[in-house]
Amino acid sequence: MLEALALALTVFLVILSAAYAQRFGIGKEILMAGTRALVQILILASIILILFEKPLFWSFLVLVAMAAIAGYTTYSRSGKLEMGFPVAIISIAVASLLLLIPFFLMGIFPLEARYIVPTGSILIGNAMNVSSLAIDRYKGEIQNRRSEVEAYLALGAKPELAAAACLKQGILSALIPSIDNMKNLGIVWIPGVMTGMLLGGADPMEAASIQIAIFTSIFVAGMIASSLVLHYSTDSFFTKAAQLREDME
Amino acid sequence: MIHVHLELKNVSKAVFRKVNNTRVRTQILNSLDLKVNKGELVSIMGASGSGKSTLLRLINRLSEIDSGTILLNGNDIRSHVPMELRRKIGMVFQVPVVFKGSVRDNLAFGINLCGGNTGIETLSRDVGIPEDLLDADAGQLSIGEKQRVCIARALANQPEILLLDEPTSSLDALSAERIEKLLLGLQKKRDLTILWVTHEKEQVERIGGRRLILRDGRLEDYNA
Repeated sequence: MLEALALALTVFLVILSAAYAQRFGIGKEILMAGTRALVQILILASIILILFEKPLFWSFLVLVAMAAIAGYTTYSRSGKLEMGFPVAIISIAVASLLLLIPFFLMGIFPLEARYIVPTGSILIGNAMNVSSLAIDRYKGEIQNRRSEVEAYLALGAKPELAAAACLKQGILSALIPSIDNMKNLGIVWIPGVMTGMLLGGADPMEAASIQIAIFTSIFVAGMIASSLVLHYSTDSFFTKAAQLREDME
Repeated sequence: MIHVHLELKNVSKAVFRKVNNTRVRTQILNSLDLKVNKGELVSIMGASGSGKSTLLRLINRLSEIDSGTILLNGNDIRSHVPMELRRKIGMVFQVPVVFKGSVRDNLAFGINLCGGNTGIETLSRDVGIPEDLLDADAGQLSIGEKQRVCIARALANQPEILLLDEPTSSLDALSAERIEKLLLGLQKKRDLTILWVTHEKEQVERIGGRRLILRDGRLEDYNA
């Protein structure tokens, strides 16, 4: 009964917002996005339901699939850089896995599909967002600062050194929303995990402790993933003779 | 004995330009030949878009030739590691680009890169940067001062050849004349081979050396 009411509210809000947004010319887009989100989340819930009955191997397989889709999204955002697809998948997967392991090693969560899939997906999703923002900005910085990058190259600097300031700016810009969120955590907003736990009747201190652990893990995973993506994408902007590619305009 | 320092044989290069959102291939250099002797000053004139800057970029290997050969001391530049080649062939751009930090940081960059033993003070004195400017923010300098920093940074690598891509075009007449004098003095002092690209006839007259003009993708003697 509760599920039906929640879904009904969602459908109502999607239709209402799409109807309102029609005056801005984005009604159809909102309707499509809302419908997609609803269908996708229901499919996910069904998959998780099935995963409860399956060995843990299947949960990890689902996370690998999520990392692959996340990697493809970041790769597309980069303008489909050469070698960008494997770099993005591996970076996002490695960073997310690194931050997922401690939750189970330390016994914060039991090693069950119910915990592995949602926690892993939060880490993967955020690592993807930060990496996409970072690569987009990194590429933009190199395009806009072409004369600076070439001034470094002309002096005999290696491409990594020539692009270092652009890389730094890319990571910094991508992390600004996360840093701001961290600063305002608990003041301006109560994040999702804590909200969910509180709604589920958990003790506020327990909910807050788990939330902050997840929150900092998300931040670190995003930072590691974006650093890896940007570091290993640098070569794609240059030729083998250390020239800034002419199509980088 | 005459030492051919730099030689371009049959060099061709086309670039792509955007015209009405379409990439159009334009032949810039066409079977170009050039021989430059050690310590020689060569000025290269040419209309805008004639390929003067492209020519310098090919020698510094910031861009790649489509066909032909460029030899440095008789060896194909493609046989050098690009980073090492660029330290031997310094380049000064039309618009000076200084790096973040102080003048001293900018000069130290070149010195650290090549592991050279030129002192920052010597370098700054050579290019006429006053000592009290060394700790100033490089980004706040005038264009003329920035160009001096760029010249000093290029010289920190102790290059054999200096490529000058209209180094005074963004400066006022007085600053331009000062930079000209500075570069000519450095050429004599360091026995530098210089390729100086310019679009000003008067400048060509002033700086002397061998005069060439880039026309239809090839170099010809220029007689004012």
